[in-house]
Parts: sequence; C-alpha cells; structure tokens
Amino acid sequence: MAGAVSALFLLDIKGRVLIWRDYRGDVSAVQAERFFTKLIEKEGDHESHSPVVFDDGISYMFIQHNNVFLMTAARQNSNAVSILLFLHRVVDVFKHYFVELEEESLRDNFVVVYELLDEMMDFGYPQYTEAKILSEFIKTDAYRMEVTQRPPMAVTNAVSWRSEGIRYKKNEVFLDVVESVNILVNSNGQIIRSDVVGALKMRTYLSGMPECKLGLNDRLLLEAQGRTTKGKAIDLDDIKFHQCVRLARFENDRTISFIPPDGAFDLMTYRLSTQVKPPIWVEAQVERHSRSRIEMMVKARSQFKERSTATSVEIELPVPSDATNPSIRTSMGSAAYAPEHDALVWKIKSFPGGKEYMCRAEFTLPSITAEDAIPERKAPVRVKFEIPYFTISGIQVRYLKIIEKSGYQALPWVRYITMAGEYELRLI
Amino acid sequence: MAPPPAPPQKSPSPSQPSGKSEVSDLKLQLRQLAGSRAPGADDSKRDLFKRVISYMTVGIDVSAAFSEMVMCSATSDIVLKKMCYLYVGNYARCHPDLALLTINFLQKDCHDEDPMIRGLALRSLCSLRVPNLVEYLVAPLGAGLKDGSSYVRMVAAVGVLKLYHISAATCFDSDFPAVLKSLMLTDPDAQVVANCLFVLQEIWNLEANKSEEASRERETLLSKKLVYYLLNRIKEFNEWAQCLVLELVAKYIPSDSDDIFDIMNLLEDRLQHANGAVVLATIKVFLHLTMSMTDVHQQVYERIKAPLLTLVGSGSSEQSYAVLSHLHLLVMRAPMLFSSDYKHFYCQFSDPSYVKKLKLEMLTAIANESNTYEIVTELCEYAGNVDVPIARESIRAVGKIALQQYDVNAIVDRLLQFLEMEKDYVTAETLVLVKDLLRKYPQWSHDCIAVVGNISSKNVQEPKAKAALIWMLGEYSQDMPDAPYILESLIENWDEENAAEVRLHLLTAAMKCFFKRPPETQKALGAALAAGLADSHQDVHDRALFYYRLLQYDVSVAERVVNPPKQAVSVFADTQSSEIKDRIFDEFNSLSVVYQKPSYMFTDKEHREPFEFSEEIGNLSLGQESVGNARRYDESDKDLLLSTSEREENGGPNTNGPAAAGYSAPPDYNSSLVSLSSQTQSETAISDPGMPKHTSQMTLAIDDLLGLSVPAALAPPSLKLNPKAVLDPGTFQRKWGQLAVSISQDCSISPQGVAALTTPQALIRHMQASSIQCIASGGQSPNFKFFFFAQKLDGPPSFFLMECIINTSSAKAQVKIKADDATASEAFFALFQSALSKFGVL
Repeated sequence: MAGAVSALFLLDIKGRVLIWRDYRGDVSAVQAERFFTKLIEKEGDHESHSPVVFDDGISYMFIQHNNVFLMTAARQNSNAVSILLFLHRVVDVFKHYFVELEEESLRDNFVVVYELLDEMMDFGYPQYTEAKILSEFIKTDAYRMEVTQRPPMAVTNAVSWRSEGIRYKKNEVFLDVVESVNILVNSNGQIIRSDVVGALKMRTYLSGMPECKLGLNDRLLLEAQGRTTKGKAIDLDDIKFHQCVRLARFENDRTISFIPPDGAFDLMTYRLSTQVKPPIWVEAQVERHSRSRIEMMVKARSQFKERSTATSVEIELPVPSDATNPSIRTSMGSAAYAPEHDALVWKIKSFPGGKEYMCRAEFTLPSITAEDAIPERKAPVRVKFEIPYFTISGIQVRYLKIIEKSGYQALPWVRYITMAGEYELRLI
Repeated sequence: MAPPPAPPQKSPSPSQPSGKSEVSDLKLQLRQLAGSRAPGADDSKRDLFKRVISYMTVGIDVSAAFSEMVMCSATSDIVLKKMCYLYVGNYARCHPDLALLTINFLQKDCHDEDPMIRGLALRSLCSLRVPNLVEYLVAPLGAGLKDGSSYVRMVAAVGVLKLYHISAATCFDSDFPAVLKSLMLTDPDAQVVANCLFVLQEIWNLEANKSEEASRERETLLSKKLVYYLLNRIKEFNEWAQCLVLELVAKYIPSDSDDIFDIMNLLEDRLQHANGAVVLATIKVFLHLTMSMTDVHQQVYERIKAPLLTLVGSGSSEQSYAVLSHLHLLVMRAPMLFSSDYKHFYCQFSDPSYVKKLKLEMLTAIANESNTYEIVTELCEYAGNVDVPIARESIRAVGKIALQQYDVNAIVDRLLQFLEMEKDYVTAETLVLVKDLLRKYPQWSHDCIAVVGNISSKNVQEPKAKAALIWMLGEYSQDMPDAPYILESLIENWDEENAAEVRLHLLTAAMKCFFKRPPETQKALGAALAAGLADSHQDVHDRALFYYRLLQYDVSVAERVVNPPKQAVSVFADTQSSEIKDRIFDEFNSLSVVYQKPSYMFTDKEHREPFEFSEEIGNLSLGQESVGNARRYDESDKDLLLSTSEREENGGPNTNGPAAAGYSAPPDYNSSLVSLSSQTQSETAISDPGMPKHTSQMTLAIDDLLGLSVPAALAPPSLKLNPKAVLDPGTFQRKWGQLAVSISQDCSISPQGVAALTTPQALIRHMQASSIQCIASGGQSPNFKFFFFAQKLDGPPSFFLMECIINTSSAKAQVKIKADDATASEAFFALFQSALSKFGVL
C-alpha cells in the first residue's frame, strides 16, 4: 500500500474538529480530537512539536494555516513528504475558493468543503489538487440555479492542467522574476551562509492552447548555442519546473517550452549557492552602561548600484526585553520601539544604492533584575527589503514567445524584483 | 464522511440550537416540500438541506430526518443531489435499515445522463459501507468500469477497493480485479490507470498472504512489461499518481544494468519536478535500483544532493522536517555526502524547533576533520543564543562530535568555555559530556579537571549532571584537592538527594576516593556506607552492602574491584542495529524514516505492507499452533524472498560486511577482533581478548561500573544442540530484531546438495536431523530462503537464530547468524556447515 490516509480533519485553533472526512472508516474523530487537543494544550507552543506524531497505532500529520489545523490520520505507513505536501495543496485549493482559509470561511462553506475533500482524495489516495481544474466542476456560485455543471474536461485532456476553450479579449502574460536572498552573518561580520532562491511567477491570460517559449541568460543554454558568454550568463543550481514544462526538451537543449495553465502559477524555481554581496549591510554597536541604560548605534549601507533603489526596508534590531524609555534618532526613515517583539524596528521607505544611513537609540534598563532571570534569548538583526527592477543573480529573460494557432498577438510583461529571504545578522 | 452522529452528550455550545425541536421542524418542512413541484421549491430545499448539513457537521444528530431527505432526493438539481449524497453517506452506516431506502435512487442516478451525477452516485453508493447492501453494488460498479466518461471509471476503480473492504468475496466473485487489470493496461485516462494501480496493489498485498494466486498476481504488478508501460506514460500522470508509479518502480527488480540505466535516464528529469514528493520518490527509485552497483550508487548520491538541499531550504517547514529525516538516513549510509554542504544545515532564527533539532542532528552526523571547526563554532553560537531545549541539544551535539573525532583539542576547549558561561542548564549538559569525553580520552583529564574542580556542586541540580560530576570527583580525586570535602558535604545531604542514580554514584565515588586519599575520605566513606545501608532504594542498599562486605573481606581486593586500571572506551554502543537501519532504508520515503523505526514497529498487522522483509517474520506468528514443528510458509511470497535476497546480496558496503570480515578467519579470531565493525566492537569493546565473551549489556554495565575483570577459560566448549528445541515465532521475531548479527558469511554447497534441494522441505528435514529447526522458509528454484533456529543443549537456555539464503544456480548459501551467546556462534556455524555439507550425500 502506498500509504493511504484514513481521514482528513480540519480543526480549529484549540484542536476541535470543524469538519472531517472519513475516507476509510478505521479512525475515530473523537479519539483524534482528544489526542490533538491534548497535544496542543500540553505544548502551549505548538511550533515545538514536530508535524508528525504517533499515537496509539495512528500517525497524525498536520500543518497550521491561520487559525485552522489541517490534519490527516493514517494507520498505514504512508509517505510523509507527500502527505504534508498534499495538505499544503489543500490549503491552496481552499484559498482559491474562499480567498482566505480560516475558521470562519470553513464554517460558511461546509458543503463546498465536503465536495472538495471528496474530489481531492478518494479512499485516502490523493487525486486532484489543481484548483483551476477543481473549480471547473465544483463551483461556489453553483448554488445559483442557472449554472450547468459539466464533468471535468481537463481530467480527460492530454494537457491536464489546462482546459480547452479559454477565451480572453486581451491576451496578456505577466512574468515576475522574484529572487530572495538568504544571508547569515556571524558576530564577526563574516558571511557564513548565503544563497539565492529564485522563482519565475507567471500569470497568464491567454486564449486557446498557447505554446510558450522562454529564453534566459542561462550559461549552459548560451554555451549550448555556441554563443559567447561575456560575463552576463549565470549558473543556475537546482532548477525545478512546473509540470507544464517539457522537461525532456530542457534536458536536450535547455529550451523552456510549455503550454501554460490559466491564471497564476510558478513556472520555475532555482537556487544559486554562489556567494553574493549582501545588498543591505548593517553594522551595530551596542554599549551597555552597567545596568542602567543601553546605547545602540546602527549603520545601514546599501551595496548595490546607484540606479536601483530598495523599498520598504525594515531593520529589526533586538533590544533587551525589559528596556524602557526609548530615545531614537535616525538620519533617514523612522524607527520605533516594538516591545511586543523586543525589538527596535527601523523603517526606510526608499533606500537608494550606495548610501549609508544611521540610527541611534538609547534605552533605559531597570536597575534591579531578578537573581535567576531566565537567560536572554539573543535574537539576530533581521532585515527586510525589496529592490525592484533588479536581480541579484543577474538572471534576465531574453525572450518570451507565445504562439497560438489562431495567431493572436500576446503581450508579455516582465518584472524583476529582489527581496530579503532569511536575512539574519548575528551582530549583537 | 462527516462526523458520525455524535453521541448526544457532545453538547452543542449554547449558541447552537439544542437540536430536538430544530430537527422536527426541519422534518416537517422537508415533508411539505417533498412532493412540491412549485417553482422555487428547489431553492427552499437547498436552504433546508444546507441547514441539515451544517447541523450534521457541528455534531447534531439529524438522522431522524432520513426518510424525508430521501423523499426530497428525487430532483434533477445537482447541488441538492450532492448534499443528499453527503447526508446519506454520513448516516447509512449507523442506520442500515434506512440505508436500504437510498439504494433505489442512488442506483437510478448511476444511470443518469450526466456523467458527473453518475460518478457521484457511484461514489456514494460504494461509500455506504453497509455489508448487507453489497449485492446492489455489483451491477452499478460493473457498468461504471465500462462507462464512457473517465470520471465515472475513475470513481468506479476506487469503488472496487471499497467493495473489497466490505466484502472481499463479492469483489472476487464479480471478477473485478481482472477487469481493473485490463483497464489499467488500456485506459486512455491516466488517472483511471493510477487508480486501478493502487487498488490492485492494495488488494493483492492484502490477499497475498492468503493464496498463491494472489501473490502471483502481485508479482505481475512488478513485471517488466507493466513497469515499462507505466514509465512510458509517466508524464501523463498527475503529481500524486506519479508518486504512486515511482513507488512501484522502486520495488521493481531490474533484469540487468541496461534495464537500470534505461529507467534512470527516463526518470532523470523527475528530479526537477516542482513537487517535492515526486522528487523524493524518484530518489528512492534511483537509490534502490543501483544498490548492486557500488560506483553508480555513489554517483546517484552526488546527483540527488542538489535537489535534496533545495527541498530542505525551500517550501514549508513541515517539508523540511520530513526531508531532513531522509537526509539523516542517507548520511548514516554515506557520511561524506553532505560534508561540504554543512552550511545548509545551519539553523535559521525562524525555523521551528522541530526543524532545528533535525538540523543539529545533521550537523552532528556530517562533522568530519574538514568541517568540524566551523560546525562546532556554529553550534556554540546556539548554546548561548536560542531557546533552552535547542541550546541543550546543541551542547549535546558538540559532545557527540567530540566523541566521533580524533582531534578533539579545540572542542574540549569549547566545552570548557561552556562551563564558564555559568548558566545552569549549560553547565548541566556540559558536565555529562565532559564525563563521556574523559571516558574516551583520559588524556584530557588534566585540562578538564582543572575547570570542573571550580564548579560548585550547589549549582548543579539535574541528577544526570550531578552524577557525572560525582563520577569525576571519584575518578580523579587525586587531581582535585577538594574532592574528598566536596564528597563529604554531598554525603551529609544524603537525605535530600532524591535521585537514586546520584546516590549510587556517590557511594562508588566515595570508595574510589577512599583508596586514593584514605585519611581524608575515611569519615565520609563511613557516613556514605551507613547512609547507603539505611537507604530505602534497593539498588543503593545493595551496593552499599556489597562495598561494606568487600572491605570487610579484603581491602586490597576491594581496591582492585573499585579502582582497576581502566581501558578507554573506544566506541559507545550504538542504539540501532544496522539490520534495522537497512530495513528503514528499504522503506525510504515513508513514515518509517521519520520515526526511525521500521514500519512493523508502529503499524497494525493488517495495515502493513507485506513487501518488506519484516512482515515475513511477522507472518510467523500466524503459525502459533505448530510451534516447534518445522513448518514451511507458502505464504511468504516468492517475489518477496527474491527481492530481499537480491537486496541483501547487494547489501551495500555497510550492511554487515566488516563484521563478516572480522570473523571470517576462524583459527585466529582474537586478533581479528581488532578489525571489527563499530557495531560488533561496541559490544565487545570492554572485554579484552582474555576475557569470556559475555557481551550482554548487563555485564558491560558492571564492567564499566566497577572495572571488574575476571580471568576465565578461553576455549568455548564444544557445542551440543538440543534436539527438541522449541521457539515460538513471536519470540523468534523479537529476538531477531534485538540481537546483532554475530556471523554473516557465505558458504558453498556441494553439487549433490544442489541436486537434492528441489523443495525447501528437503533441506528442512535434513537439518532437523542435526537438531537445527526451521521456523520459516520459502522460495522456488533457484532461490530459497530459510530461517533456522537451534538451542544449546546444556547450560542456560541459549538460542541461535539463522537466516540462510541459498542460490542453487551459483551453489552458494548466504548465512547470517544471531545468537544469545555470540561467542558460541562460531561453533554453531561450524556445526551448520558440516550438516550442510552432508546434505544430499546421505
């Protein structure tokens, strides 16, 4: 048995069953609920519990989304990775239907939820989790009389991710190249880890069955075509494609060709492990004056070309949890004490390349501390930012061709953006 | 289905309607609408149905409205129908009599012109799970499987499985498996094919233990023809179905290396699939296919590295968690694999702690000479930084790395720095580690003791840490000026010490200290012995009494017992046998890996996958009634035997190879002990060659405790077996799981033996004559597999367990022996070999 699950539960934040679907009739909801409420009660912080828990012959696997837990119960030795992934897909599908998945939206839509659970899984085996396809035969507005329902077209289609007969007045494609920079810097200011995770996010509004072809400045591709690579080409480490991409062709000649699904999807993701220069660099000096006050001096520097500008820069600086009376000065942007996060949050709306800004802050500390105070949790400095029209890897879309047999002209729009991923500096 | 009618006490919260009056109100309204053809009637029905469904969901029993709901089901409105199916599915099982009412309209709907309704009706019909209604299922299912719409066929395929679970006999009588089989090979729709596949897999897996035919059927699911057929269509399947197919392919036994490369080339691009589950399933295929080809296997590891690292770093934390568990397993098999990628396992501040924990384990596992410095630096960062459980884990990780490494210089310094941090939990964890380090590297005692001596015992509260500190005080009392006085003050507070572990150590430490610095300790020792004798804890009392009498008997003997020259512990016992690790590896990409346990340890019997080797032993418990009789198990299926034997032949470098090498030179096995694998070593590490090979954990513990060394005879007595040995299969299975392999070797079989081995029974009868009993066997020419056992005639009951795989075409037998008394296994093996050589001759 490839590991069918016995039931799928949707639970509220306290672990009580909102809805469940019993696929195989060998687990009990009461038992699952009792187990799970105990689990989250005991832990308090559910994060500390692993997402796979075993109890009395049953393996429970769960994820959390907003105030809802999604959990499967299985008696067999099921495939952990695929079930956890499946649960995330279920979230995506619900989000597609109800915009946001939370307790309320589930309560308002019992009937549709049941229908979806039935089509996404049968007898404990995952079936379809493509929201686009499911929405063809399970419609929320089906509760109006006039809508006629057809069986899923795409199910029988050779191209399972796209239905035939899609029409748009204006044919457009939006392609966003989004790169997130993950950086880890230690207290000596050395970069101990850096990588870039990129994604090509597409939104397609195209009629018929369009054939798309995408060209990147991928070094291997350019070399395969015998072109000279004048430092513009890049090496992509681990590329993953949406199922629509013809992987065999990519293997042969590195061309990316596909019939896109309708709407939004991730065409491709990649990773770059070559070390990059951190776009925003932060230096901090902290002085503690005995136990009475703490002074911080923070410098932030943008290390990218002047023609780019970082936006929504947010630098979160940890401060002791008992700090009070902040006095803050900044040379740019605004900084505010956020006691709920034990942090000073410095926001800069627009941060052009090659600039350096300062922030000074002073806090008072209580002069008396408990003898056996809990050890301080030292948090890293965390940075968030977005740099539009810029990719840190240097990836470029050379062309995006769209060919459809009706011969319409489609407009491709390409956008680049680089943002902070896990961007941590253990400075203080 | 939605919740079963909740027991009445599951009271709805005050805001919800209490139920009773609401339900009767609903009933009334439904009845009024049932016959109505007025325009708008469907609309009002929908509202009512919706209310019924939401009551049902929040746990109010609305089954009372069953007949009204059925009456209203005569409608052409699909939304109403769906809600009605939902309702019926929920209550049918508890109200079988009422369920009969629904059969009629469900059957009718199975002939509806709308395929959507046909499919839904069929699904509902099959999901009723009412045994006495199965007869109504057969016709609609048969029609469903031939339906023009793939949606209906898809539903019908799963319906067969549902029918099987209600009534297997009906399922077979209607010949549905055969229909599914042909559907699987011909249907144009990939999802129908996938559903047929898992249905057949599940049915034959469950049936395989019951009939020859079923196990043959299961074998055909792994035939080259089918596997290639599915592989060629793999791109048509959706992601979940691909996982299913890949799971099947991982069990396929390739005929030759071309076969392997064909499959790998075909699947290469699956490693780039966006769905992590597909990637992992592909990795499983690659790993299992190349088991026999060591160099290719290594290349596979290189190839799968990048996709695995990406899976860890991107996606949800849950995914990272599951993937990290798999990485951990892989690293155990190929330690060098990720040694240069260690940075990927650095913890992020935002990682949930279950991910951090696994990352720490990874960092521990991949530490080697080249990266230790960086890894330990990073780990030290966590010790002070993050939450306490993780800080503890990371200190432990540093310690584990120290124990693995040859060059521990830098690490010891770090550990000692931890002690200076003066945080209670850090100190506690570190003390335990320093103790273990000293046991392995006594040469560091000088540096460590200097620092440990500065720790005030008042700051150490955790029993484990306290015990460790006391152990060091006793062991190194000559280097610590304060040792006797610290011990003395600890002994004074004897009554306040709650943990027996600490009190035990206190006794031993006082003894040790006494022999090193008698005048200073005498008083303390007296107090300790007196307190120990009065202790209510049995072990503490006994140990105190033992020391007391020992001192009475002869002080110099007591000194030899308590303070013997000690050998450093070279390897600490590994908790998991390589056998179990191999089994987990066989179940790659499943919960087994997450739990680090083979599936038979956590699933019920009926939910197990019979493919695995463990099941085979698990089956044995079926034969309880014929205990002792050599009994052949037809049920243990041939393909299973073949596949396991294949795997074990190719078992990879770290199965039990080195152990076998260590023992394969019988005349001189004392010297060969040196080259034992770590696993065997861990069991014999303490006992030096001159000692009897009592390797049980118990003796080890005592040796460790007291450094006891008893001279004993070397030659094992010649072995006699009990001709009437009895061992029940359950015990066999348990022992097989617990014991380590003591001998793993190949031997050859004479041509006469090969000729005589036409059926397993022949050998079984022959072995019985030599007092070696068979507990399970199976296979077909040329591959046979046997599980034998034997018992030592005299002395305490001591069993030998043996797995024997014979390939008659190569005239070779592969033997694995596990024994209660591992020292006698050589003799047992000799006995077995001589018996085997006589096979066919007599």
